[in-house]
Amino acid sequence: MIDRQDVMRMARLARLELSEEEIELYQRDLNSFLVSGRKLQQVDVSKVEGTSHAVAVIGELRPDVVGESLPQEAVLGAGPQVFNGFFKVPRIVEGQE
Amino acid sequence: MRRLAELLQSKQISSTEIVRGCLERIEETEPVLNAFITVDEEGALAQAAAADRRRAAGEPLSPWDGIPLAVKDNISTSGLRTTCASRFLRNYTPIFDATVVERVKRAGLPIVGKTNLDEFAMGSSTEYSAFGVTKNPHDPLRVAGGSSGGSAAAVAAEQVPWSLGTDTGGSIRQPASFCGVVGLKPSYGRVSRYGAVALAPSLDQVGTLARKVEDAAILFSLIAGADPRDAVSAGAPGFPVPVWDDTVVRGLRVGVPEEFFSSGLNEEVEKAVKRALQNLADQGAVLQPISLPTNEYAIDTYLTLVTAEASSCLARFDGVRYGERVEAADANTMFAKSRGAGFGHEVKRRIMLGTYVLSASHYEAYYEQAQKVRTLIKQDVARAFQEVDVIVTPTTPTTAFKIGEKRNPLEMYLSDLYTATANLSGVCALSLPCGVDSQGLPIGLQIIGDHFGEELVFQVAHAVEESVGRGTGSEV
Amino acid sequence: MKYDIVIGLEIHVALLTESKFLCSCATAFGAPPNTQCCPVCLGLPGALPLVNEQAVEYAVRAGLALNCEINHFSRFDRKNYFYPDLPKAYQITQDVFPICTNGYLEYYIDDVLRRTTITRLHLEEEAGKLVHSSGSIVDSEYSLVDYNRAGIPLIEIVTAPDITSPRQARLFLEQLRLLMLYMGVSDTKMEEGSLRCDANISLKPAGSTVLGTKVEIKNLNSFRALERALEYEAARQSRVLEQGGEIKQESRTWDERSGRTLSMRSKGDAPDYRIFPEPDLPPLRLEPDWVFRIRETLPERPLERLHRLEESYGLSRYESTFLVNYADFCQVFLELAEEGEDNTDLANLLMGDYARLAREQGHLEPQRLAGLLQILQEGLITHNQGKAVLEELFKSPLSAREIVKEKGWEVLKDPAQLKGVVQQVLTANSELVERYRGGEEKLWGFFVGQVMRTVQGKADPQMVNELLKGELTQKS
Ligand SMILES: [Mg+2]
Ligand SMILES: [Zn+2]
Repeated sequence: MIDRQDVMRMARLARLELSEEEIELYQRDLNSFLVSGRKLQQVDVSKVEGTSHAVAVIGELRPDVVGESLPQEAVLGAGPQVFNGFFKVPRIVEGQE
Repeated sequence: MRRLAELLQSKQISSTEIVRGCLERIEETEPVLNAFITVDEEGALAQAAAADRRRAAGEPLSPWDGIPLAVKDNISTSGLRTTCASRFLRNYTPIFDATVVERVKRAGLPIVGKTNLDEFAMGSSTEYSAFGVTKNPHDPLRVAGGSSGGSAAAVAAEQVPWSLGTDTGGSIRQPASFCGVVGLKPSYGRVSRYGAVALAPSLDQVGTLARKVEDAAILFSLIAGADPRDAVSAGAPGFPVPVWDDTVVRGLRVGVPEEFFSSGLNEEVEKAVKRALQNLADQGAVLQPISLPTNEYAIDTYLTLVTAEASSCLARFDGVRYGERVEAADANTMFAKSRGAGFGHEVKRRIMLGTYVLSASHYEAYYEQAQKVRTLIKQDVARAFQEVDVIVTPTTPTTAFKIGEKRNPLEMYLSDLYTATANLSGVCALSLPCGVDSQGLPIGLQIIGDHFGEELVFQVAHAVEESVGRGTGSEV
Repeated sequence: MKYDIVIGLEIHVALLTESKFLCSCATAFGAPPNTQCCPVCLGLPGALPLVNEQAVEYAVRAGLALNCEINHFSRFDRKNYFYPDLPKAYQITQDVFPICTNGYLEYYIDDVLRRTTITRLHLEEEAGKLVHSSGSIVDSEYSLVDYNRAGIPLIEIVTAPDITSPRQARLFLEQLRLLMLYMGVSDTKMEEGSLRCDANISLKPAGSTVLGTKVEIKNLNSFRALERALEYEAARQSRVLEQGGEIKQESRTWDERSGRTLSMRSKGDAPDYRIFPEPDLPPLRLEPDWVFRIRETLPERPLERLHRLEESYGLSRYESTFLVNYADFCQVFLELAEEGEDNTDLANLLMGDYARLAREQGHLEPQRLAGLLQILQEGLITHNQGKAVLEELFKSPLSAREIVKEKGWEVLKDPAQLKGVVQQVLTANSELVERYRGGEEKLWGFFVGQVMRTVQGKADPQMVNELLKGELTQKS
């Protein structure tokens, strides 16, 4: 069973601020998923490797050639907060010190 | 579309006239349908005018130069807002074109606008959009399906002749089925994903929707083929529009998986699909009962993988470089507030689930297990294609359901029951209309082909289309 | 109680590619902020990564130089965590299947050859750069982000915990740096962050095989910082243990100002990176032939060169070490050296005055330095004059021979002319000549000095000696 703490931990890992109702909602949803997901765990997979890529393609590599970058205005254009050519973010260390 | 191209070529109609026609049709039907998030009237007319100039100069970019399309709003269009139907990106305008957009532009196709979808393509009904629900043109009380609901509805309602969508677990085929149009999910890697906003990169494909099989094939021919910007598309062949040959059906080995005709399948859907199968048999196809026993795990496998990959793909929406930001005193709180406010419930639910299945203590039991079951599913499909040429199934267990009908997320996820297997195994699949139910709602038939087997799938689809007769029109 | 120190290092080396790891933006250092960015390295929605072939080659080269096994199959993974400098909120790295494993590096500690095991070497992408408003992350109100650095290719090299002293850690890192430099894979500038090191250190009772709790030290920006931080940390841990305390598993940062390590306690949970295979990139498969070609063309390693200098050129460990450490000097040496005894002279010239001048003003063309060595050998000038000529070589475009000529510094080589001077000196000091002949042999030096003073030092001392001897004995 997934408890409230688990939900809070996932929300923290995923950086999602959740309301009280959402916490309860997702706790319920996660638990019902686990019930249905149990079927999956009973499949015998002892003899198989996992598939991470739908098709096994040989990775084609890119030659080391410099291409065009975007102009700074285009890079920063969609930035919610920019300053002096940089993106600006609030303090990184959370405020307990 | 061939006829439209001829009319354009013989100057009996102009691209501007076609685009105006689309815009008028949109104006007329949008208040009910809500198929579009953004209609780019100005841009589309400008592109049409350019197409007309090229025609006048005798230099069309392709036979289809000037025939407009609509693009699902999770495919990046340079200079044209691309929201993914999310609050988070409601003001985001890309600075580059997706490869598929670049390719349709290179063929001269004006983009009329960006179609509605479930937020970040997470859903099967286009109800989870920050821009409202898209209605089914056959019955506005019903969903258009999803997540490419806007692209399917726009084509079905003749707002545009054709459109682009994306398909991760059925997101082109299921709405195509619900709206009575043709929808192709290409083989994994056949079409560049560059610029299509990722939901689950190991499953995502961009594909085409149109009212006729041939049109879906033509649009597909414009976007297919390797793109140096998408590593997994390396080695993908291009796609010439097929020369139709309905005799391919003779001796064709058609696999009919018993698991797709079991409980949960609506009787009317079953009847229509079986009738189409019988038609194929009448034309000389060999119907071969096959078994895809692992299909019963497809939904759970799909859900595990898609939520895991999505939780990672959507992490970049943190409010630093683009998108909506909710200010806070420190960065982590800013991230959490921006994401909490920017994402809808379904997106948050899937991120939570994906985070859970990837987290250290559950990775092995869920994510890794799902990857291994995926291998079994792939093996099942590969085994089937040693015995048959195509697999035919219903596209969805039911016809379009009512808006608001599916409140339980797990119930909604079941919409992908018949479609997710093709994504999990990387093969191609197409849905086309094969009749209507007693309420007049379209029923979809799915043809699954082997990896890079699009040509055969289209040939078979064309034959089915001929035998079924004209597809159902719009009721709006 | 006595404790054994157990140290393991994790080193990040920025590779010297022209373009970034996964996109084609330039990697040049020092550009204005956010001017070397594109949709890929900004993590814009829909952008996809593509692996730079040169980065793979450099990783293989580094791996071969470290005697690693090169894995013909390796895979990229996503490491998920939120941080403002990480555009996609995940780092593309190699977790389960790194490109190189199981190697070692050899290096000298006080003439004893030591070996440290390299557990693994993998490819990954660099993050962007943060500038903190107050200069320190701890008390900054806000931070600024520059993504120019984001996406530069890195290799991460991880050692086994088999380093037993802070000094050994430094010597290891110095040798590793030199190796990377020799392989041409990195400029290894610690001050620009292209070589970074984190250290894990734990203590265990002397002789025990049970490892203690390890502490990770970050922010080690120089060799000195590495050694000092480890010394401090070893002392701190031993103090804690002596007092019956327990070492906490944690990350600490080296604070240069106070000369201490400080805990980087963060509130919240332990990190959970939810690592899973990167779906956007196919696994990396290396052709055995390709790897073989890289192995065949691998540059000489520093340790091989050290041994070659000692064995083939007869240099001492001290001289060889100097030349190995300064590859540019070594190149000059190798261009000029011949098998023979004057190699030592050459090495000493390079290590002495030349080193001082070259570091200030850059290297001379080896051929100009060769010109100096040649006239020294010919005896055209004396060793003392050699220094002056060397200084001139750095200032003027003339060759050594031309400088000597212009300055009139040739040694008086005409025996007749020099004989005249000698005779003149002896005549002027006839009294002293008598005393010398009478047995006061210490006057010899006086005569030599007088001759040299008269010719302003430009005489070959040996010839002066011979002539003096001749004159003084002849007439007795
Ligand atoms: Mg690392
Ligand atoms: Zn870039």
